[in-house]
Amino acid sequence: MSRTLLRSVLELRSPVMRLLLPSIRPTATTAAPAVTVPAAAAARFFNQTAQHIEPSQPDPSIVANSKSPLASSPSPSSLQQTQPQPSETQQQQQQQSQPLANTPPKPISESVRALLPVLAAQPGRYITVHIHGHPYLVTEGDSVRLPFKMPGVVPGDILRLTRASILGSRDFTLKGAPYIDERLFECRAVVTGTESEPLRIKIKKKRRCRRTKHVKSKHRYTMLRISELRIRTEAVNEA
Amino acid sequence: MTVRALQQISTGRNGVGAFILQCKKMNFHYCDWAGSSRGMNGFIKSLLPKFAAAHPQIEFTVSPRPAKHPVIVAQYINGREKAICVRNMEPYEILKKAELLRDASGEKLKRTTKPVTSINESVRGIWSPYHGDGLRV
Repeated sequence: MSRTLLRSVLELRSPVMRLLLPSIRPTATTAAPAVTVPAAAAARFFNQTAQHIEPSQPDPSIVANSKSPLASSPSPSSLQQTQPQPSETQQQQQQQSQPLANTPPKPISESVRALLPVLAAQPGRYITVHIHGHPYLVTEGDSVRLPFKMPGVVPGDILRLTRASILGSRDFTLKGAPYIDERLFECRAVVTGTESEPLRIKIKKKRRCRRTKHVKSKHRYTMLRISELRIRTEAVNEA
Repeated sequence: MTVRALQQISTGRNGVGAFILQCKKMNFHYCDWAGSSRGMNGFIKSLLPKFAAAHPQIEFTVSPRPAKHPVIVAQYINGREKAICVRNMEPYEILKKAELLRDASGEKLKRTTKPVTSINESVRGIWSPYHGDGLRV
């Protein structure tokens, strides 16, 4: 972890990146709304041409929609909304991206306090994580084929998925409105590689014309493996 | 019914616990004389040392193959191998191909429609109309 950070420090080329550095978590990235590229992403590319690397903070408008207390809750629920995090890196990110959202984290509701340890005590769990707005219902050990090739990741990278809408066990379900609190769970995925599909050939033919056009396409997909899914019952006591 | 031995105790799930890169060996073939190897020779000179140093878990070999087009052959843990002909390519195009071979799992390409594959049992079980609240007829 520290090595990755060090490498990213050494490879920094622009002052903009240096400003962003505190907000980048070294081995983990958030999954949504935009998957941030890991810190060492710039160092990973061997070619020195300019890369399209998204800013590490999500778009302020998206943040305003999902994170600010005014806009976030379309329906007041007994569960929790996505709120600024208590961790240091997240707070720095909040300060940099939008000073308005620097409010203290919203307290966890009573029903969650009471029932989350019961949910965590049951053996099997599943979670519906959202990556770029797409939901994936996964359990620990599952393999996910994302419908795109994630830029800037290499096999072995660990992503921390922080956006989830449903967390459940056999008898209990924690539903977010629309997303559950990031403090309540830890979900990590390992990038296992890039898969491809067999070459698709679509034949385009027009009437009364002998010519046929063969359109080829071959998409590439990033494969993830859910390596860790943990319910942070201690977060209930902290908040 | 015959008694059969256990086929396997557990199924490997790469990434749960340890992660192992599936590509184990890469061979780079080049030709000194032919023009289609020009990019490959530049790649071996300029980019390959950096690429190989970044991947200590892969074995790299460079071997001449005179009067043939340049080829990258990658071998995978599952026993398969993939080969890409890189004739007339620029060094950075060849680097892209090498990264493609590194990221691949070695499996045959398959068309899949479901994004999530799981071998875990269903967490919530199978729905039944006769349990829970019951079915009013």
